[in-house]
Amino acid sequence: MEIVVAIVQALLLVAAAPLMSGIARKIRAKMHSRQGASVFQDYYDLAKLWKRTEVRAGTAGLVTRIMPPLFLATFVVIAAGLPLITRACPVPLLGDVITVLYLMALPRFVFSLASIDSGASYTSIGGIRELIVGVLVEPALMLVLVVMALACGSTNVGTMATSVATFTATPPVAVVVAGVAFAIACYMEMGKVPFDMAEAEQEIQEGPLAELSGPSLAMLKLGMSVKQAVVAGLFIALFLPVGAAASMAPLDLIVGFVALIVKMLVVFLVVSVIENAVIRVRYKYLGRYTWFAVGIAALSFVFLIIGI
Amino acid sequence: MLDFSLVNVLGACLIITSMTVVLARTGAGAAKLYALQSAVLVSLLAVLGTVTGSTELYMWSVSAFITKVVLVPCILLFVLKKITATAPGVAVDLPPKLAPMKCVALVAVEVFACFVVVSGIDLPTAAAVKPTLAVAFAHFFIGLTCIVIQRSVVKQIFGYCLMENGSHVTLALLAPQAPELVEIGIATDAIFAVVILSVMVLTLARKAHTLDADDLCELKG
Repeated sequence: MEIVVAIVQALLLVAAAPLMSGIARKIRAKMHSRQGASVFQDYYDLAKLWKRTEVRAGTAGLVTRIMPPLFLATFVVIAAGLPLITRACPVPLLGDVITVLYLMALPRFVFSLASIDSGASYTSIGGIRELIVGVLVEPALMLVLVVMALACGSTNVGTMATSVATFTATPPVAVVVAGVAFAIACYMEMGKVPFDMAEAEQEIQEGPLAELSGPSLAMLKLGMSVKQAVVAGLFIALFLPVGAAASMAPLDLIVGFVALIVKMLVVFLVVSVIENAVIRVRYKYLGRYTWFAVGIAALSFVFLIIGI
Repeated sequence: MLDFSLVNVLGACLIITSMTVVLARTGAGAAKLYALQSAVLVSLLAVLGTVTGSTELYMWSVSAFITKVVLVPCILLFVLKKITATAPGVAVDLPPKLAPMKCVALVAVEVFACFVVVSGIDLPTAAAVKPTLAVAFAHFFIGLTCIVIQRSVVKQIFGYCLMENGSHVTLALLAPQAPELVEIGIATDAIFAVVILSVMVLTLARKAHTLDADDLCELKG
């Protein structure tokens, strides 16, 4: 049963991820008083790209070839292990925060490697910027997860979710502050607007996209949507375990499934409203914002130590 | 629920609200956030009164509500309005010297350092509320941070007010049975200090036409 849940939630995230970015784009259009493209536009784009012939740069090697499938597959694996529908991890082996963090670092590493692999200067700058974002955001993510691990007594995401859901995670204020820091860090990790400009030209991240085409590009675009859904899912799993199934009973699972959809929609709605209400930031000034996330994470750590 | 853990939770809320006071971009925003912080302080005093069973603290929370939640923010908002009315063109909301985002990390370090200091002290009256004692102690440094990093003298007043709140909490934790006279003395002291500071700020805005602490360093005679 656990395996079925894991497969279902991974497939659901992959299937729904383009819809989420489609909805975000629709909200942006509405905020601009435009009609906007259909919410299914991303599916059409993916289908179109899938039919195209693949063209690669002459210098591109193995890394560029394996990067898109690896990127997508890694996030699918993370999605299978997160406690999204249930409170406990469907696959306990994949539910460890250290595993999750390293699995999230792997695509970033390969992505940056692919950016220099193609030999173009523009893409390598994009890859370096992607790494900068990672270096600036990951400390906050790690610190928050350390706080949660100490507060809940386990590095397993499922155990953390259970203790947050049953209000047994102590000290409570440290957990709440950690949740705020995690929300900010997740927003940055999702690569939304102040921290990226993926819609027209790739200003900060996603430079390597310029060198890809056809199915590879489709796979990577899907992978990026899945990444956003997985990062949002990690936040939901840890800090919003409301409604998640406490047992494997069919009714609980259905409630958990509906709750997951509602929570995902709410998170993406909030994210896209924030995204469309702010101006984009030059990557030079990114550090100022990440300091804030690190500061709040540090504050939660201090609250944990002093025990409030 | 009404026990020392609630006091500690409110102590944590004090840190968060005082941080928002330091981070506030406008003077008016800081005044409103200060009122919020004082409201947390008042509830902390009331809860502490219930937990320790000292009726003096109820009186104190009422007087603190009047002075800190109502009077001080009103005075500061009035001064801000007066500055824009009588001395137009004087910038009140000057950017701070340190990037506000870094203040959060600084506050975290301060709270931690204060906890290290407090944990070395063995006080029988404050054994259960040691985290809050650290918080109260840290408010002194948060206030100092606010004074040091802010260029606008109006915002430096908030630093003083934060120190004030910290001393209130410390006294309430260590001496819940202190007589009313002491408490009235402390409460009125804050009001008079804020009034005097406000008059000085208003005079500075009118005579020196600047509220920038760096420019004011050049005042002579």
